[in-house]
Amino acid sequence: MNTLSRIPAVFSFEWRRALTLPRLAWMLALAMFAPALMATVRIAAGESPPTEVAAIVVYILSVSVTCMMAVFLWSTPAVSSELEGRSWVYLAMRPHGPLAVLLGKYLVAVSWTLPVGLISAVLSILIVGAADTPRLLAVECGLVVLSCFAYSALFLLIGVVVPKRAMVAGVAYALLVEVSLAFIPAAVNVLTVQYRLRCLLVRWMDFDVAMADRNPVFTAYFGEESALWHLGMLTILTLVFLLAAGLLLRYREFTSAAETET
Amino acid sequence: MDPLSTRQCANVAVAFRKESPLRNSLLLAADRRIPIVSHLKAFNMLLDLKNVTRLYGTVIGVNDLTLDLPPGAHGLLGPNGAGKTTLLNLITGQLSPTLGSVRVLGESPRLSSRLRQRVGYLPGSEGMYPNVSAIEWVTYLTRLQGYHAKKAGELARNALDRVGIAEHMHRNISTYSRGMRQRARLAQAIAHEPEFLILDEPFSGLDPIARHAMTVFLQDWIAHGHSLLLASHVLHEIESLTRSFLLLCGGRLLASGSADDIHDLLADIPTEVMLRSQDAKRLAAELIGEGLVESARIIEDGLLKVTTSSSLDLSHYLNRVSGEGRHLIHELRTADDSLQDVFNSLMKIHRGTA
Repeated sequence: MNTLSRIPAVFSFEWRRALTLPRLAWMLALAMFAPALMATVRIAAGESPPTEVAAIVVYILSVSVTCMMAVFLWSTPAVSSELEGRSWVYLAMRPHGPLAVLLGKYLVAVSWTLPVGLISAVLSILIVGAADTPRLLAVECGLVVLSCFAYSALFLLIGVVVPKRAMVAGVAYALLVEVSLAFIPAAVNVLTVQYRLRCLLVRWMDFDVAMADRNPVFTAYFGEESALWHLGMLTILTLVFLLAAGLLLRYREFTSAAETET
Repeated sequence: MDPLSTRQCANVAVAFRKESPLRNSLLLAADRRIPIVSHLKAFNMLLDLKNVTRLYGTVIGVNDLTLDLPPGAHGLLGPNGAGKTTLLNLITGQLSPTLGSVRVLGESPRLSSRLRQRVGYLPGSEGMYPNVSAIEWVTYLTRLQGYHAKKAGELARNALDRVGIAEHMHRNISTYSRGMRQRARLAQAIAHEPEFLILDEPFSGLDPIARHAMTVFLQDWIAHGHSLLLASHVLHEIESLTRSFLLLCGGRLLASGSADDIHDLLADIPTEVMLRSQDAKRLAAELIGEGLVESARIIEDGLLKVTTSSSLDLSHYLNRVSGEGRHLIHELRTADDSLQDVFNSLMKIHRGTA
């Protein structure tokens, strides 16, 4: 049996282990954050916003904030919690154990955060009541799926690279790179998940047609490539994050001098 | 390099039609042009460490350690901080040596998935999930060994039964006593039926009853022909299981072999002998005068403590003077023969205080 055959074992075990009332409550609260905010704004405004505004607001609240937050809480400590709890050695002693644990936990993170993101996006869109609701639902849900897969891989990698300060490193990376750097129109922002998701939003919602002439810096922020290109790049980024995390787990020594009492 | 040896390796490997560790190992030896005899010798060894050094920055964990151990039960003994856990981490492949080579059952342990099937490990730290039951945990880890869910569950139940906590296996681990947790940890190490079990301080924190149960289990394990490496800083724990031990201190291997081998090593080391005689002062003077003792000290009235490097000569002399009636020896007591004394002596030599 190889790594792939062991992933279901990790997935089912971690799912059962994670299924606790406090965690469910926390995830539900996260899922309801954007809809609650949208409901407040909708009541205050009194009328539905234009589709473009609704799409951007839902994108920011559900795809970016909610998904990123949920995935951050799930994926970043995936490996570091095992190291801190000293349970890693039991997993590392199994054939293909580290890689199976990594991929199993990745799928657990995606499967837990995906419903959170989807609930958040769907409820927000329904509350906003924009003109092109079916299209908005399809696009935002698609972005939620991509966001969960990509950010899960990214935060998993951060947790493997900096296991001792995983959460701090995760927050720092999210703020510096995914929030700040992603909005700087430079060569480096194309390496962020945020940039790809943002580009996909404008392509799939056809914002480029409507906005390109009005905004001269449009291409600097949203690129000129097709949606398929961005989709491909996002997939490659996700695979690179996972591959890097897998290689690090395989070749890095996670036993420190302090743990060996010498 | 003898070209025939390489060919032999390849030929023998081909004779193994099915995939096996030995076949693969021989093919590897042929590929690397290693002579077959030395290769087979290494393959048969439980542990084969050559000049192994492990550094943590500038701190030495294990220092130039060379070791050949045949299959069987062995104790790894040393005080806290001696490098036992570092050595176990090297053997289990959690760490790679900074210098030298480590082979376990003929294979390099660092990234060998095949070796992980053959080895069971009980680490020194607990590291269990509190909110799962023992059966869930052991089944999970057994599934990670590559077994299907049903078979893994069967093996896990069997292992938990063997360590004596089958009736509590559905309870959350957080409700277990220290002894029960230790047994559950042992169960995960043996569930996949390894041929080599590595235990790091398995008796740590156990009450006397749990210690006895653990000892009985390990004695049974050894009796069934399995190999065992047990690390401890408490000598009698090892002594009750094996007479083959390795003494580690400051990252160095001070001694290895059976207790008798170590006694031979210590033949020239001064031994303390207690003598009770009516005239201890006169006896002390005579012994010093005859050159039979290096030092003599009156402990209390009639009780003399001497240090000698020639125990046999001292014994003959005392026999003679006692027989001639020159001295009445009421009591003659040497350091007892337990490993603790051997251990203490070796530690003194290592520290330069012997």
